[in-house]
Amino acid sequence: MSTLGDDGLPLPAAGPDAVSGSGAMRRPAEAGATADAAADAEAVAVAVGEMRFGDHLALAFTGDEERYAVLAAYVRDGLRRDHKIIYLADQEDADAVLDRLAAAPAFAEADVDVREAAADGRLAPRPVIEAFMASGRFDPDGTVELLGAEIELALVQGYRGVRITGETSFSLRGWPGTERFREFEHKCQGAFRAPGSRAMAICQYDRRWFGDEQLRLLLACHDGLVRVDDLHDDGVLRITPTFTPPGLALSGAVDESTLPALRTALAVAARRDGHLCLDLSGLAFCDTEGLRAMLETRTSGDGLDRQVVLRSVPGYLALMLRIAGWDRLPGVFVEEAAT
Amino acid sequence: MTGGAPTPAPSPRHGEPLTNDEPLTNGEPLTNDEPLTNDEPLTNDGPADDDFGRRPSRGRLRHRALLYASDEEFREIALAYLADGAAAGDVLVAILPEARRRLLFAAPGDAAEGLGEIEILDASDWYGGPTRTIASFHERGRTGWWGRGRLRVLTEPPWEGRSPLEIVEWQRHESLLNVAFAATPTLLTCAYDIRAVSGDVLAGAARTHPAFTDAAGEWPSPSYTDPAAFYAECNRSPLGPPPLAAEHRRFCTGQLPDVRRFLSGRAERHGLPPDRRLPFLLAANEVATAVIRNGGGRGDLWVWATADELVCELADPAARVEDRFLGHIPPRLDRPTEAAMWAVRCLCHIVEIRSDARSGTRIRLHVRLDAPDAPVTQG
Repeated sequence: MSTLGDDGLPLPAAGPDAVSGSGAMRRPAEAGATADAAADAEAVAVAVGEMRFGDHLALAFTGDEERYAVLAAYVRDGLRRDHKIIYLADQEDADAVLDRLAAAPAFAEADVDVREAAADGRLAPRPVIEAFMASGRFDPDGTVELLGAEIELALVQGYRGVRITGETSFSLRGWPGTERFREFEHKCQGAFRAPGSRAMAICQYDRRWFGDEQLRLLLACHDGLVRVDDLHDDGVLRITPTFTPPGLALSGAVDESTLPALRTALAVAARRDGHLCLDLSGLAFCDTEGLRAMLETRTSGDGLDRQVVLRSVPGYLALMLRIAGWDRLPGVFVEEAAT
Repeated sequence: MTGGAPTPAPSPRHGEPLTNDEPLTNGEPLTNDEPLTNDEPLTNDGPADDDFGRRPSRGRLRHRALLYASDEEFREIALAYLADGAAAGDVLVAILPEARRRLLFAAPGDAAEGLGEIEILDASDWYGGPTRTIASFHERGRTGWWGRGRLRVLTEPPWEGRSPLEIVEWQRHESLLNVAFAATPTLLTCAYDIRAVSGDVLAGAARTHPAFTDAAGEWPSPSYTDPAAFYAECNRSPLGPPPLAAEHRRFCTGQLPDVRRFLSGRAERHGLPPDRRLPFLLAANEVATAVIRNGGGRGDLWVWATADELVCELADPAARVEDRFLGHIPPRLDRPTEAAMWAVRCLCHIVEIRSDARSGTRIRLHVRLDAPDAPVTQG
């Protein structure tokens, strides 16, 4: 960590072996994540439901569905645990943010309500320009102090913790001081990780707005990436939503014991219109019933047929599909894993 | 003792007059509106309908045994048979052992040269396993042969070196062809070298082929047996108990990951090559799933090895399965539940099923340890 960038901050080491700081043990892969390697890093990114105090994670997204799937779970979990939630919005106003959160699947059957929480202050959405640019100039130290004060206030008020999330797109507008944004992220990293911390943060990075190298440097100022919660994980089968393309990633084994969970997840995924992509690269075992359940999503839903794309299909499953003749079902696209 | 066909051969070549009321030289029309004689629901569709429910060109299987006693006789009949097919515009396929291929195709300027395009396949590759052979036939027929016209096949299944169990299962295979490909435009002639094959095999040929053929013509086999009856007969011989050395496990819902781990370890210990362990696990898991889901909910399994096979038997003491060609017929895409046992049979060398109300169901999977049993249908 001796190399300094042109803003005087240490540059993250590139390469998968690089580790940084004390937080690296828990999620080694992200420490040296490059923008290119970010996709790999997501495989070991922290599920939002697993976040702990002291975490300062980056949400690097390419679409709003993914973004609000993570944030809604973050907010919901916080409300359930009596945390104060501060949401620093930039591209949309507070009202729109509340709508987005309330519409996300995480709140579909939740016992907590976004609007109620916003009304009584447990959830505080506010424009980032108000919070960070009050003096007309973005000041990393001042902003870190401000956040610290907010956290302390919330704890004094009796909240059991504080969850912060903020959009980062404002840093790209050339407002005064925002050239020091990476310094700010770097300082946050230290502040959140302080011993006894009862706060956590998710910084939202829209991949479409940041350059690869820029994003790599910014992401490296975090403990790692945050990802959407698994839909299911029982130690045998793990099911994780995917967003680009929309679908599910399956890993582990599908057999008679895990089939019900798969069916449930497929039913949820099939509520959404459009084609469905199932990433099977991590599927070490799957029986014919499991394959059938996947293929049957072609015709479920409101009667509109969709295409089911089976991606990175392991060799044994490609064989099973061929034996059953299911690789030639209309609406099924089988993409075998490279061997 | 593994059953077989105890009925003596009816010596068809001499016992029946050579009445030839169905000359094979005239190409049968491809559209055959003759009602199907077989009322089995499994059989009346022939090759699986294509992906849009359309049927391939309708037709009817003619499956005949050709018994010959000398190389010259084989050569003469075979060449005439193929020449007739060439003249009729049939799709010609020869599936023969090397020695027979040499007789027909080796010499330059051979009579076979004038026959035009003949697809020549090696019998020892083709007859790898009874179900896989049906799978390959189905796949090749569906994707190539039947779409181009009437299919005329000359084949000689290998019988030498088959174990008693294999002989029964290959005879069952010959009988099942009458069901699996009943409604396909196929003329299938199976050659038997009466110098080489046993009387049991010849007797079986008479019972599994509706007709005999030779240079002069074709006549019905008097001992031809309805495939369902033949199938039931093949199942009548009892399955011996697993050997004392077999390892035993019980299983019920939730335990299949453990079962797979256990079987994987045994497969490794008994020398099943790594690339064939997963297909074996898939097959055993599929059967165990059926026991848990459709059967009695819990079952027993035994695993052991013989000199050349890894064997896994799964038993459901509480439930009986309806075994009517179970897993032997290529599954139709609109009947996905038929696919599971079909897959099991494709993944294994031989699968034996015995089921009755008194003692439940036993399914014994045989996987070969030696031969490269690539369980792949042509894709």
